[in-house]
Amino acid sequence: MKKIIMKFLALFMLVAFSSVAANASEHATEAPDKASTHKEETYVSQSMGHMIMGFLESTGIVALVNPNPNELSATGEKMSDFHKGAGRVIMILLTFFLFWLAIAKGFEPLLLLPIAFGGLLANIPVANIAGPHGFLGVIYNMGLSNEMFPIIIFMGVGAMTDFGPLLSNPKTALLGGAAQFGIFGTLVGAVALSQMGLVDFTLQQASAISIIGGADGPTSIFIATKLAPELLGAIAVASYSYMAMVPIIQPPIMKALTTEAERKIKMTTLRHVSRLEKLVFPVMVLTLAILVLPESTPLIGAFMFGNFLKESGVVERLNDTLQNALINITTIFLGLGVGSKLAADQFLVPETLFIMMLGIIAFSVGTATGVIMAKIMNMFPGNKVNPLIGSAGVSAVPMAARVSNKVGMEYDRTNMLLMHAMGPNVAGVIGSAVAAGVLISIFA
Amino acid sequence: METNLVIEGFKFMVLGMGTVFTFLIIMIVCMNFMSNIIHKYFPEPQANADVPSSTQKDNKKIVAAITAAIAHHRRQG
Repeated sequence: MKKIIMKFLALFMLVAFSSVAANASEHATEAPDKASTHKEETYVSQSMGHMIMGFLESTGIVALVNPNPNELSATGEKMSDFHKGAGRVIMILLTFFLFWLAIAKGFEPLLLLPIAFGGLLANIPVANIAGPHGFLGVIYNMGLSNEMFPIIIFMGVGAMTDFGPLLSNPKTALLGGAAQFGIFGTLVGAVALSQMGLVDFTLQQASAISIIGGADGPTSIFIATKLAPELLGAIAVASYSYMAMVPIIQPPIMKALTTEAERKIKMTTLRHVSRLEKLVFPVMVLTLAILVLPESTPLIGAFMFGNFLKESGVVERLNDTLQNALINITTIFLGLGVGSKLAADQFLVPETLFIMMLGIIAFSVGTATGVIMAKIMNMFPGNKVNPLIGSAGVSAVPMAARVSNKVGMEYDRTNMLLMHAMGPNVAGVIGSAVAAGVLISIFA
Repeated sequence: METNLVIEGFKFMVLGMGTVFTFLIIMIVCMNFMSNIIHKYFPEPQANADVPSSTQKDNKKIVAAITAAIAHHRRQG
């Protein structure tokens, strides 16, 4: 019975194909009369065998096993056979691993999932989705190559940020500054690596990599697209995956640098911050940025715009859109656009390994210098600062502040550090935007 | 050229961290200044005095409504 059905199906397919072929050949005979000059319009009748072979040659399996020698990468350059074949398979498996991290382990799923799926799509042979006319390429050109999406994300983050804790204890802003040592320490590390001849990073590339230490996704993407777009994929993936790993990376460093007594320091309760203070603050910071470092105003301006809308209290609808709809839509596009840079020919290069390595160093240095800064501040008279909140100076809002709180509670269950840690946390965002501005101004 | 690169990196570090700290210190000074001015000249209206009275009023209204409802219910019963 089964055999009969199979035979019938095969016969049916053959008839269907041959009728299609016949139709096509009729068209083909008419075509020359219209004197078409286009080569692709003249259709030459092919035998069934040829057609099946032609179809088989266009499948993904063949494209992966036996790559087309003329295929160009999304940027229009020649690719090695490895990047066309095995490299793509490796990248697709890597995106599966990223799916697992995002879904099973909860690693920043909001961004990691779109990035990973974008990466999966970008590694499909033949379809060229990440090319200039594929939809990923269009998304990339629409908002990433001109740094639009990170700026919109920054507006949304601004609308979500509460500067109250910082305003009630201004000196904790210094902790957010100290953590930026992570950025510049890594910059030195990256140029030292190229000095040793291990990799060949230019100063621009080294700067783009080092900004991972700012632990701020949009800032990293902003700088990477400006200074080293060819490294964007690796930098974004490193940045977001380490931000997700903050609860694993930070506590050992925090514990190693503090004594038990320091970890139990209780901080004075935060004073009440008036609405007017919160309203004046964004404009004040922006004014300072205009005066001191105009290069940082795209980031700080967008951030403060979002925050100003929120604190004004009269544009609840706009505030709501920034915090929810707009940032969600932009996150989808940003993720897919970054994912398009996970194409094998751009990601599977030795530099990626070094970027991953430098990224974790950047995070660790930032955490350590934040904690050390808090210890230095305790040497001066005044209210004592619990050094555990220093680690929150790397931005990663609000994850880093939660980590400070958690570690603090391990030693004293009544010691609530969360709100105290939010101060350095949001100062870290401003600090990394300033650091980004400095790097841009150097290369401008 | 070879030795320059790391020295360049350190230069960036000094410049960058200098700017970050200068910016944040100015910001802290301005924040304190602003808070002082706001507390001195634009104090928030005493929220504490208003809030309880309004809730008390509300409570009285609620109590009145409940009593009326109970009375109504009893009359019916």
